[in-house]
Amino acid sequence: MKKINTLSLAIVLASGLIATSAQAAEELRLLTWGGYAPKEVIDLFEKETGIKVKVTKSNNEEMISKLKATRGAGFDLAQPSQDRVASAQKAFNIYKPMDLSKIDNSQIIASMLAATKGQSTVDGEVYAVPHVWGSSGLIVNRATSADITDYTDLCNPAYAGKVTYRLKRPTLIAFAFAMGEDPFAAYSDVEKYTQIMEKVGAKLTECKANVKAYWSGGDALLNLMRSGETTAAMAWDAGGWKLNRDNADITFVAPKSGALGWIDTFVLPRKTKNEEGAYKWINFVMRPEIAAKITAAAGNFTASKGSDAFVDAKAKAQYQESFSASDIDNIKWYPPVPAGLEKIEGKILDRVKAS
Amino acid sequence: MSNETTIDLACENISKHFSDFTAVDNISFTIPKGSFFSILGPSGCGKTTLLRMLAGFEQPSSGDILIKQKSMVDVPPNKRPVNMVFQHLALFPTMNVEENIGYGLRRQSVPKNEIVERVAAVLDRVGLAGSGTKRVEQLSGGQRQRIALARCLVLNPTLLLLDEPLGALDLKLREQMKIELKLLQKEFGTTFVYITHDQSEALVMSDQIAVMNKGKFEQVGTPHELYYQPATAFVAGFVGDSNRWQGNIESADSATVLVSTSDGLSFKAKIMGDEAMSAGNRVEIFVRPEAISVNRTAPSTATDNQLVCQVETILFDGAKSQIIAVEEESGGKITVTLPQTSDFANLQQGDTLYLNWSTEQTLCFIDSSRGA
Amino acid sequence: MSSLRVTSPFKLGLWLLLAPLCLWLVLLIILPHLELLVFSFTEPEDGSFTFGFYQEFFLEPLYWRTFVRTAVMSIMATILTLLIAFPVAFYIAKMLKGRSKGIVFAMCLIPFWVSELVRTFGWMILLRESGVISNFLQWSGMSAGPVELLYTDATIMLGLVYTSMLFMVVPLVSTLDSLDDSYIEAGYDLGGTNWNVLREIVIPHAVPGIVSGCIIVFMLSLGNYLTPVLLGGKDSLWFTEQIYTQFITRFNWEQGSAFGLLLLLLSSLIVWAGLKLSGQSFAKTMG
Repeated sequence: MKKINTLSLAIVLASGLIATSAQAAEELRLLTWGGYAPKEVIDLFEKETGIKVKVTKSNNEEMISKLKATRGAGFDLAQPSQDRVASAQKAFNIYKPMDLSKIDNSQIIASMLAATKGQSTVDGEVYAVPHVWGSSGLIVNRATSADITDYTDLCNPAYAGKVTYRLKRPTLIAFAFAMGEDPFAAYSDVEKYTQIMEKVGAKLTECKANVKAYWSGGDALLNLMRSGETTAAMAWDAGGWKLNRDNADITFVAPKSGALGWIDTFVLPRKTKNEEGAYKWINFVMRPEIAAKITAAAGNFTASKGSDAFVDAKAKAQYQESFSASDIDNIKWYPPVPAGLEKIEGKILDRVKAS
Repeated sequence: MSNETTIDLACENISKHFSDFTAVDNISFTIPKGSFFSILGPSGCGKTTLLRMLAGFEQPSSGDILIKQKSMVDVPPNKRPVNMVFQHLALFPTMNVEENIGYGLRRQSVPKNEIVERVAAVLDRVGLAGSGTKRVEQLSGGQRQRIALARCLVLNPTLLLLDEPLGALDLKLREQMKIELKLLQKEFGTTFVYITHDQSEALVMSDQIAVMNKGKFEQVGTPHELYYQPATAFVAGFVGDSNRWQGNIESADSATVLVSTSDGLSFKAKIMGDEAMSAGNRVEIFVRPEAISVNRTAPSTATDNQLVCQVETILFDGAKSQIIAVEEESGGKITVTLPQTSDFANLQQGDTLYLNWSTEQTLCFIDSSRGA
Repeated sequence: MSSLRVTSPFKLGLWLLLAPLCLWLVLLIILPHLELLVFSFTEPEDGSFTFGFYQEFFLEPLYWRTFVRTAVMSIMATILTLLIAFPVAFYIAKMLKGRSKGIVFAMCLIPFWVSELVRTFGWMILLRESGVISNFLQWSGMSAGPVELLYTDATIMLGLVYTSMLFMVVPLVSTLDSLDDSYIEAGYDLGGTNWNVLREIVIPHAVPGIVSGCIIVFMLSLGNYLTPVLLGGKDSLWFTEQIYTQFITRFNWEQGSAFGLLLLLLSSLIVWAGLKLSGQSFAKTMG
């Protein structure tokens, strides 16, 4: 049993104060990614159910940190990536098991639901259902940098000062694959994993001169690519497709060593105050026509069955241009991250940054 | 005094216009070396502006300022042989007494040991030997005054400007400092230009006083001249106390006039000022309280002016005690000095007084308040 | 005894009055810090006592070098801010009168009506390779190709100085305002040059304002997160970023707590040293 600490207490008190002030209407506090809860969808949901949705935009690490600080309070529904559910639950006990009977299975692509269930099961309880999926790979301006086909090509001296990527764990994983390693296979082998990461760290240090800036937010990345300050990047597919709408030369490219596939899920924070509302939201956004609206806003496809029919043709064409059938087979799906890897990766990232 | 080499300061037709008014209006004067020169005037008369032009903090709009025959118009304040004692003294609070006095010497790159000597010497002369390491806030008002003087005098300025430095002191200390300032000025022999609105300060200390009003000098003269021969009604009213009446001229000859006042009294007065007077002119007449002889019985001989009054109030102030008396018929009031003789020891309200004074002491000026 | 009876109700009233303040201090300042303190000495695996997280700071060169770099750059930013803010404050306090004084002062405030993030993005728009200044330089022919002005230490410095200006100007204006003009005039009157007057009269008078401005700016720069991260680019190492990373991306609250407390301790030391050097006391400066 972990004793309640005062820092959490203070945060709980503070969030409690905020929560009570807005108790009048039923409310769903959603901790999610940008684009996953567009205004149009929120309005439709409120009209149908009377529930007000309050959105807090975040990312994987922040979601987990926030819930860790409050021991799972402050939000009613969160959307971490599939690989960050089981490990965070084991380490911090911040989620609540899902009652799958409350979710309309028929709306969700069966294979994805099965995969997510499998990866988010802890002690026999399922903690997550899938929502949006996508991949990380390369965004390339084909007019100037057509020869960039894999992550390591970003280090080509010909593009010195013209590339950008994040200084985060996906970059480490991606470079590991491009360098012929299989980091996912080494997840459970700390020694081997450390060795791979050291190698990747050395490569990234060497590559640093090529980097214009490490991008940290989606807008920063889009600005860098759109203005032509950079001509190639490691980034999310949706970013590439968004750029492609403005400039046909730029698009998302699935790298030779494989795009990194992720699935963002729905999870219930342990102290959710509106579980019913959360299920209503999940079932609502998984309706094909609603899911298509989210695809339009976020740029990524959802696990909603049949929503393809509502997605605009341009998005489908972009997707097909970026992914051949073999590219899709080659996607490396993130397995659950065992606890402790962050520390190994963190050290490497620090060193790259400081070099 | 007319010898040019003994003139320390000469102002030639200086004026200062601000956007909407004229603070100093075409003034010329000279100050001889070693004299104590006061500029006396009510607040807002332009005396501070004049002083700041001498110090160099304001530029005259026209005219020239000459110190020892050298024009100062283009000389910045820190290059003028002039120092100033500010109204609130402006002793630097971040420095002790020694550092305050040494400040000017350090600017002249005087060697360190000489600074120490000169500071000690000037402290000795102002009677504050040994207080060099004190902080400014540890000093009394009078001591600060002397430090502010010492800070300027140690630089041997040609001209020392003083901007009402006694204003902030209490009465007793002010009386004492008046005398002290005069003595220090004599001892150092420095030319002082002192501005004040307090006529008593000016009268006690000065060799020469300029009475200033609305940007102009009304009169420049010795304290005696200003007191007894004021050139204008303003000077007569501003310097010293006077009984003051307004009235019309009944008849006039070459030197005297007969005036009937608006109270219904009638006086013989001496013509003052530059303007010609004739019957019907509106005039002001001034009589000093101490010029009136006061008797409890009717005098045997007739004088130029006489009044029979009743005592209304006695304002007791020791040697400066005064009586306010009322003329029965007209109700007009007059202030006279209470004689310090046994006759008046038991003077009561309502007692009858016989007042007499001469034409010579009844000063008549054309009433300018109407034209203005 | 009687005096005790007289004073105790008064004291009770005083305590009641102070209660909200004390509560605030204890709940929101002291307790969280104690919590950090406990965290930083606890081994997460078994809850035992450890110095390891502090050792880590001194043994891993990256961490203490980042701290030294942060401190040195913050000191430089403080000095630069002072050098720029002093003439501005002097101009506002001593040269301007009445309405124009209010207007110029308000102009210093205007940038603070938008959030720091927006201000920083403003700089990014100006300075980036495809930004306004770069385009102007190319258009005017002063530069042949695009100029990258972003992502350097100088840019961080620019951002820090810009962000801190107001916090230096305000205390300086208020101390300079309290300097009577007659002191300055006396300084000139006794033969002082501009430099003498500044050095011997204006600066000594303004020292409390300078010191309090410097403390505020130093602490703000040291604790700044957005400006160094956004303007600094790939080499921007800032200690707060380390703390953020430890807490948020590594889930390593113990290490983050240790860093946080070290930042508090070391920055207090630097401020203390600064006060000693300038011969000021904290009470005098803040009072």
